[in-house]
Amino acid sequence: MKNVMTMGFERWRCGLRWAWGHKLRVAVLILVLVMLAPRQVKSQLLDPCCAILVAGLTTISSTMNNVIGGGLTSILTVDRAIQNFEQTVVWPQQQISQAQSLVGSTQGTFTTIQNVTRIPVNSATLPGPQQLEQILLSADANQISRTSTSYSVVYGPVPDATAASQDVRNRIDMADAAAQAAMKRAIAIDNLANLEIQAANQINQSLQTAAPGSAPIIEAQADAWLVRANAYTQAAIADLMRVRAIDLADAGANIKSGATNTSNLGQQLINLLKRQ
Amino acid sequence: MTFLFFVVFSWFVVKAKTRRQLLALALAGTTAAVLVAPPRVQAQSSLVGAIQAVLNVINGVIHSGLSSINSVRTANNNFYRNVIWPVQLINLARAQVTQMIAQYRNLMWGIFRINPSSATLPATQQLEQVMRNQQTNDFAVLTTDYGNAYGPIPVVTAASPPDRAMTDMDDALALDTLKTLKKTDEAGTLTLQAGDQLESGAGQAAPGSSPFLTASAVVASIQSQAVTQKMLAAELRQEAARLAHESALRKRSATYTGQVGNQIINLLKRN
Repeated sequence: MKNVMTMGFERWRCGLRWAWGHKLRVAVLILVLVMLAPRQVKSQLLDPCCAILVAGLTTISSTMNNVIGGGLTSILTVDRAIQNFEQTVVWPQQQISQAQSLVGSTQGTFTTIQNVTRIPVNSATLPGPQQLEQILLSADANQISRTSTSYSVVYGPVPDATAASQDVRNRIDMADAAAQAAMKRAIAIDNLANLEIQAANQINQSLQTAAPGSAPIIEAQADAWLVRANAYTQAAIADLMRVRAIDLADAGANIKSGATNTSNLGQQLINLLKRQ
Repeated sequence: MTFLFFVVFSWFVVKAKTRRQLLALALAGTTAAVLVAPPRVQAQSSLVGAIQAVLNVINGVIHSGLSSINSVRTANNNFYRNVIWPVQLINLARAQVTQMIAQYRNLMWGIFRINPSSATLPATQQLEQVMRNQQTNDFAVLTTDYGNAYGPIPVVTAASPPDRAMTDMDDALALDTLKTLKKTDEAGTLTLQAGDQLESGAGQAAPGSSPFLTASAVVASIQSQAVTQKMLAAELRQEAARLAHESALRKRSATYTGQVGNQIINLLKRN
């Protein structure tokens, strides 16, 4: 142990002697060593830079709390007020459910109306009239083409040219045409009315499951149906007016034809008397 | 890495032979040490600037943005409450509905229910009563009462087949119309009830629930139009039958006129 220490001491002295003899080299080594030495680590407690950072972050946090948090709280307050207003005044769930339930109860009324309109009203007792009546009350547009045949069975055909004058045949044909057209229109209108009742029920059923935001869409559709229904009603009134117009024309023609016949009869009597 | 560099550098310094070599080593060593040295720590003033910039953004852009949003939301809230859905006017509308129900409903119902029956004889009174009772389950009674008032179809021996057919058709269409009217009377009463229900509902509705009632009212209007069309169809059938009846009489008149003419000619020929 003593030898080792003695040897180490000798080497240390030898190194110092070398360093004393090579001062410049030692200076260069020290310079490079100093330059390569690791930098000092800054303390979190004592370094002023960290203190500034902490103060800055605290200020940022406080500012965010006040400015952003405060702003968002104000917005939330207003939004809650709007939400409350909409839920209690504009779209209260209770009133919406009540309205939906009312729609359901009117559906019951509409179904009753539909059932009432389906009750048959047939009344004819003889075969010919029964067949015509069955077609007229069928409410089936496909039956329209069968109307003319059944009509002729009950009311007879237009007389042929040898059986009546052209004037009389024209009036009969026009009256028959107007009567048949009105009957055909009545079948079509019945058919349309049934479809409208069916559609109205469908619309009312969809209304029962609608939302306040979708109900106006259904209402718009119902409005469109109502517009169409008005047009069908007008078409029915138009045909009714046509029948009455032809009836009036027929009454006028009766007077005209009576006047002509009277005049012809007078002339023939004069001729007869002249011959005698 | 730094330690290895220093060891190698020290070995070269120790082994350098001349002053020139030592000087070259010193230059190379210091240059390398400068190159591998860690970067400088930034000045404290730039950190303060960055923090201040963040604060400026929060106090400037974000603050003014949130203030604007809040202003708009507040304006919307006030607009909804004061202009679109003012609670006072909503309550006023409900009160008006209730007031009008009280003012008109019973009055109009009373007028509508006035019985216009006017027949004086037993048979016609009975027919009139059954015609107007708004029932749809007594059509057989109606047919019987109609027969009592207007008589039955002539039997086969009492009238020609065309006359019997036309009489049957006239009676049938008249009865069809009377039955249809009984149905539409009942439907009309139901439609009035639906109208009352919807009006009562409107008196308790909210702005958001009223579209249901409006749509349902439109549906009721469609139903009502359909019933009106059925009445018009019945009227069309009846008017058509009347015209057809007149036309048939004219056909027969033409036939009779021809037959009478022929008979006169035959008579004159015989004389």
